[in-house]
Amino acid sequence: MTDLSLYRYSQEEWDRLAAREATRRRVLQVVLYLLLTVLVILYSMPSIGVLITSFKSNAEISRGGLWSAPAQLNFANYQEAWVNGNVRTYALNSFLVTIPATVLSIALGVLLGYVFSQLPFRGSEALFILIVSGMFFPPQIVLVPLFRLFNTVGLYNTLWPMIIVHVAFGLPICTLITRNFFATVPSALREAAIIDGANEGQILVKVMLPISLPALAVLATLQFTWIWNDFLWPLIFTQSDNSRTIMVGLISLKGQYSVAWGVQGAMSVIASIPTLFIFIFFQRYFISGLTLGAVKG
Amino acid sequence: MARSQWLWRIGFLALPLTLYLVIVIAPLAYSFFFSLTDWNGFNPEYNFVGLGNFERIFSDPLFGNAIKNTVIWIAVALTVPVLGGLGLALILHEGMRGANVYKSLFYLPICLSLAVIGQIWIWIYQPRWGLLNLTLNGIGLEDLSRAWLADPGTALPSVILAWVWQQLGLGMVIFLAGLTAVPTELTDAAQIDGANYWQTLRHVVVPLLQPSTVVVVALAVINSLKSFDIVYIMTGGGPFHSSDTLAMFMYHESFKKYYMGYGSAISVVLFIIAVTVIAFYFRQIRALEHLYD
Repeated sequence: MTDLSLYRYSQEEWDRLAAREATRRRVLQVVLYLLLTVLVILYSMPSIGVLITSFKSNAEISRGGLWSAPAQLNFANYQEAWVNGNVRTYALNSFLVTIPATVLSIALGVLLGYVFSQLPFRGSEALFILIVSGMFFPPQIVLVPLFRLFNTVGLYNTLWPMIIVHVAFGLPICTLITRNFFATVPSALREAAIIDGANEGQILVKVMLPISLPALAVLATLQFTWIWNDFLWPLIFTQSDNSRTIMVGLISLKGQYSVAWGVQGAMSVIASIPTLFIFIFFQRYFISGLTLGAVKG
Repeated sequence: MARSQWLWRIGFLALPLTLYLVIVIAPLAYSFFFSLTDWNGFNPEYNFVGLGNFERIFSDPLFGNAIKNTVIWIAVALTVPVLGGLGLALILHEGMRGANVYKSLFYLPICLSLAVIGQIWIWIYQPRWGLLNLTLNGIGLEDLSRAWLADPGTALPSVILAWVWQQLGLGMVIFLAGLTAVPTELTDAAQIDGANYWQTLRHVVVPLLQPSTVVVVALAVINSLKSFDIVYIMTGGGPFHSSDTLAMFMYHESFKKYYMGYGSAISVVLFIIAVTVIAFYFRQIRALEHLYD
């Protein structure tokens, strides 16, 4: 206490000042809290609106509008979307694209990340930067040539172009995250394995991968989410219902159900379930992925 | 030893590098090539038109319009999600009760597809049933209610707002991660020295958040340049091109009008802008690395 002016206060006054300060802080906190609550409710309105609409019949919507609470949980819209609306096929296609593309992009990214972190060579840093910059390329840059390429090789309107393109465009983020993770592994581990006679392949599979599971989980959640949610590639590479993925299917069904709001809502909810699942159960990994390689989205 | 290492290097690099070369690098070069032609997307044949497509670009009012809209988009992206994300992160970082629930609700939209988000927001802007017009009518502002997405004056801001709804959470998440790296000793020290909240924020916290800021800013610009999905779904670039972005305009010219040569020229311009941003990003990151070495 170098500030002598403090001594002018008696203990009693001092306590009162401290109490006033505490009250001021608490009031500020409550105000902030209320403000944030209002904001978060407003922020959640769009999602809530879709959810409640998906449970309402057309009759109920025309009576009470889109934004009133449903009288009961009515799954008819989900049934309609799933059975007659082709959503089953779209969802299956989405899984058939997303799962292989997620796995392959991570597998190939691991190989690159291993070389860039454990086996660097002259020029490997430049190569690494070249690959990672791919993360920033607007996909429009390769749209026309890839459209021509897949047409020429006869893969247009199949699931293959989407798988291949997602693996290639997933390489930047997968390489970045695996390289950075491998770089944190103590070199003693690798040296011990070399002394034990392990080759690079064995070191990767038996030493590096088992301790990299958190990094792989981060990548799996990120890649699954981006690929599942993608809209552009299926729009360019598919034409018929049999090969459409769910996000494009959703839009093409809009015409068919233009006045059936409930069915549209149900389709949106179904299309979001897999990524919501990741959001709920693997949030930690997803978030750390966003902040590690926070360059997509 | 050295030789076997090279074999492993080649073995590991072969497949991923080939794929990257064929799907990313070669098509990139091809776009430059096609930008010099008049290819229409169907005919195997095409003619060289030299720099004709580029001459056309710079006299095309629709291109100027797309550039203007993209600049507006970037300007909004640099303010609302960046400052809003920072504000939310600062409040939620205080660790109040229930902060985690609030955080989750703010970043929920990041895991939704832009296709779904577009769909949701079409409902909000719907002229008769939409939440926005219902609210405006409810509070006696009928004059303001309109067909938001069909009005050339409001289509672009309406689409951008829907997009910002998603991006705000992203900014918040990155700033929150940055805030955990700000040592409390420094903020405490500043406060003991008599700095008030704003002074601490301005002179201690924000400078220490610079790495996060670089990421958020670069993301805002890059994601703005990529803005296509949500425009396609909500307005298709209309009405009367009022919500066209560069990416949307490129798609429209290439895949609706089948001017693939012209579309490629637009994508080349887009690429040059993106490369400038990437160069800026890597320079900043490098500078920061030196700073903390």
